Amino acid sequence: MNKGYLCFVLHTHLPYVRHPEFDDFLEEDWLYEAITETYVPLIDIFERLVRDGVDFRITMSLTPTLISMLGDGLLQERYARHIEKLIELADKELERTRFEPEFNRLAKMYSERFQLCRDVFNRYGRNLVSAFKKFQDLGKIEIITCGATHGYFPLMETTKSSIRAQLKVAQSQYEKIFGRPARGIWLPECGYNPGDDHFLKEAGLKYFFTDAHAILHGSPRPKYGVFAPVYCKGSHIACFGRDLESSKQVWSSVEGYPGDYVYREFYRDIGFDLDHEYIKPYISSDGIRINTGIKYYRITGNSPEKKPYVAEWASEKAAQHAGNFMFNRHKQIEYLYDLLQKKPIIVSPYDTELFGHWWFEGPIWLDFLIRKIHFDQDMIRMITPMEYLEENPRNQVITPSMSSWGYKGYSEVWLQGTNDWIYRHLHEASRRMEELTALYREPYGLIKRALNQALRELLLAQSSDWAFILATGTHTSYALKRTKEHLLRFIKLYDDIKAHAVDEPWLSEIERKDNIFPDIDFRAHCQIPA
Amino acid sequence: MAKIIRKIKKISQKLKRVSVKTGKVFKKAVTVTKKKKTAAAKTRRVISPRQLPGISAEQAKYFTHPEVTPKEAKRPAFQLESSQLPQKYDRDTLVLMVRDPWWLYSYWEVRDSTYQKFKNELGRFFDTAKKTLRVYDVSYINFNGSNAHRYFDIDITHNANSWYIDTAAPGRSWCVDLGLKLSDGRFITILRSNIVTTPLDGPSWITDEEWMGPDDLFVKLYSSAVGLGSSPGKVKKPWLELQRRLAASGGLFSAGFSPVKKKEESKRKFWLVVNTELIVYGATEPDAKVSVMGKPITLRPDGTFSLRFSLPDGKQIIPVKGKSSDGIDEITITPIVTKETR
Repeated sequence: MNKGYLCFVLHTHLPYVRHPEFDDFLEEDWLYEAITETYVPLIDIFERLVRDGVDFRITMSLTPTLISMLGDGLLQERYARHIEKLIELADKELERTRFEPEFNRLAKMYSERFQLCRDVFNRYGRNLVSAFKKFQDLGKIEIITCGATHGYFPLMETTKSSIRAQLKVAQSQYEKIFGRPARGIWLPECGYNPGDDHFLKEAGLKYFFTDAHAILHGSPRPKYGVFAPVYCKGSHIACFGRDLESSKQVWSSVEGYPGDYVYREFYRDIGFDLDHEYIKPYISSDGIRINTGIKYYRITGNSPEKKPYVAEWASEKAAQHAGNFMFNRHKQIEYLYDLLQKKPIIVSPYDTELFGHWWFEGPIWLDFLIRKIHFDQDMIRMITPMEYLEENPRNQVITPSMSSWGYKGYSEVWLQGTNDWIYRHLHEASRRMEELTALYREPYGLIKRALNQALRELLLAQSSDWAFILATGTHTSYALKRTKEHLLRFIKLYDDIKAHAVDEPWLSEIERKDNIFPDIDFRAHCQIPA
Repeated sequence: MAKIIRKIKKISQKLKRVSVKTGKVFKKAVTVTKKKKTAAAKTRRVISPRQLPGISAEQAKYFTHPEVTPKEAKRPAFQLESSQLPQKYDRDTLVLMVRDPWWLYSYWEVRDSTYQKFKNELGRFFDTAKKTLRVYDVSYINFNGSNAHRYFDIDITHNANSWYIDTAAPGRSWCVDLGLKLSDGRFITILRSNIVTTPLDGPSWITDEEWMGPDDLFVKLYSSAVGLGSSPGKVKKPWLELQRRLAASGGLFSAGFSPVKKKEESKRKFWLVVNTELIVYGATEPDAKVSVMGKPITLRPDGTFSLRFSLPDGKQIIPVKGKSSDGIDEITITPIVTKETR
């Protein structure tokens, strides 16, 4: 008997990284690695589930920056080149490891995986967004949107038109790509401040997600805790809270599944392990060793000595872990059903890149989980938020509490000694953008182009990724570069527009570099809704 | 009421202690990381998460290579971007932001002309005045400058242009004045901030008649939601308990570094790795067919070939067979290699 729902949410995001000015740019690898290790394996699993007639529901955000990158011709071309090189490397590895069957088997596994990536990539016309759209059209996944560039809303409270712009630009991109407006949104970093829901409503959105304490600490007290959504007071936008118990099982670096000793070790990559001369064509062009994606070892244990990876053992373990996850959800749902006298909804959100990239076995774990839920039981039903709301339209009205899913639950990750200085610049830029939208109603020609580019630069500067990387204290130079670069471009655009002296060749140059959102309308940043 | 405030203070102090502790752990992790990275730059050392703490699942997304400072410096500089962001925007601003239930952050800019105006007005008082932030509790009121529930002052250093403010009271609304405290006790406001409201650090005491459940149900749900099982206890406790446990055990935060728990390794860190590879190479007629260990290989256009094998301990027999293009001549040469590690 069905006693509860599981709402599995995958938040899929990468910041906009695209550098036509260089032949080879390290940070672009974030996208290539995510395609090879996460997006293609997920698409492959979805395809096989559909083929085998297994019903499932996954709610998946695809951030506007990621959608833009996946659809970009230059990056597609570069990925095609990237995967060819990986296939070549895997073939060399097949030969090199001939005396060592335990590694040779793995070389073969990688060779096949990379070829699958090439096939899937080409099969969907080099744009993987069309693959996800296909599963949405089949009713298996619900694609939701996010802030246009993943800007963190709670720190935009004094310049709220930027929240409006983040949402409007995202929604118009979604509509263009998917043929209807997005119904749900993953708030960047799950960052919510009471009142932001009015902007969601304005953008035509119906629901969003928060961390657990947004609801638990909301006012009045939520009757069903996080196990039923609430409507925000005033806007009546539905808010679904994260279940921490199921999150912890997967996320925690200590108790979580990904740390199991038979799973693949993330850090032992042949990019670092093999002779420099041999591996040189496959690492950074300036000779810096980087991850290639070929990793031969299992976590093994706590010592630095690592043993070769055995795919069958890992797969067996993933099946066990999927069974364990389902068992725990059964216990949880049974308990809650008795307590609430109503079917609870368990909302389990994860970063998509956790699956495959960091936790290599994540995608097969998900595959096992979905199949077990479909074939082995009927207590849990997978559901999307929209389906839930259609079946359960009556929910409590509260004001959720300010929160994020960052470390300590609030804004500290993005607001601390290493990154707090960016906000005076970001806020000033937002204020100036407001000023420009008030000044120019129907501009044309060069001024219009400059205004649109100004909004692109502002949005790109707002990506929470930069503040996050600054906070972690490693690889900060790129985050610093991006923050400054976009702000400085914005400042020059503002000055040029105000002086009626737009520098056309320079504008063309940055339009080519920061080419995100080709149809952007700067009026999205207006102070009063249009 | 006083009791509740005292309780809240105690709790927030506790939490601060926790946060200080985790701060330390993180710093330590960073130091270790840096040391290891130098090693990585010099050698081709394998990087393992258990030796390189500080990188969490979420950071892994942005991880492609260890940070190698000298090489990174070689990367091309950006052009317009090598110039600096403005120090000032020539606009009087005082902005207040919420960091968490307890802490606020504020930044400001005061134009020189604004200071000059106050200097002219205040005369000799200006030079001895103390720059002060006055923090008003403006919860549930329309603040008019004089009706705050209470306020407290923070003396700030002269050159500061931002400040973190500990309010010690979650779930309240705040407004800040940047001003001058004169030697005669007067407070002169230079700039006033926006108003912000901090979140509660626990469940609301307000319930909804229509949606009310028994109190113990909420306690159970609260404990259950935060993943602490159904152990009954004070409603506020599970959240604090969870925060503490997470801080101690590699949390479940997506965005944000988990303060990954790592054993302090007391052993000395010197290490050495030696691997061997074998290169088999040769030449024949460019149109000949060559196979190595039974597997055909492709010759270069000049008839040469080379193969590279990882060489484990033990004996490897590597028959290389060449056959002329017409299939008449055939030669087999079989190197036998034994590797032994002592």
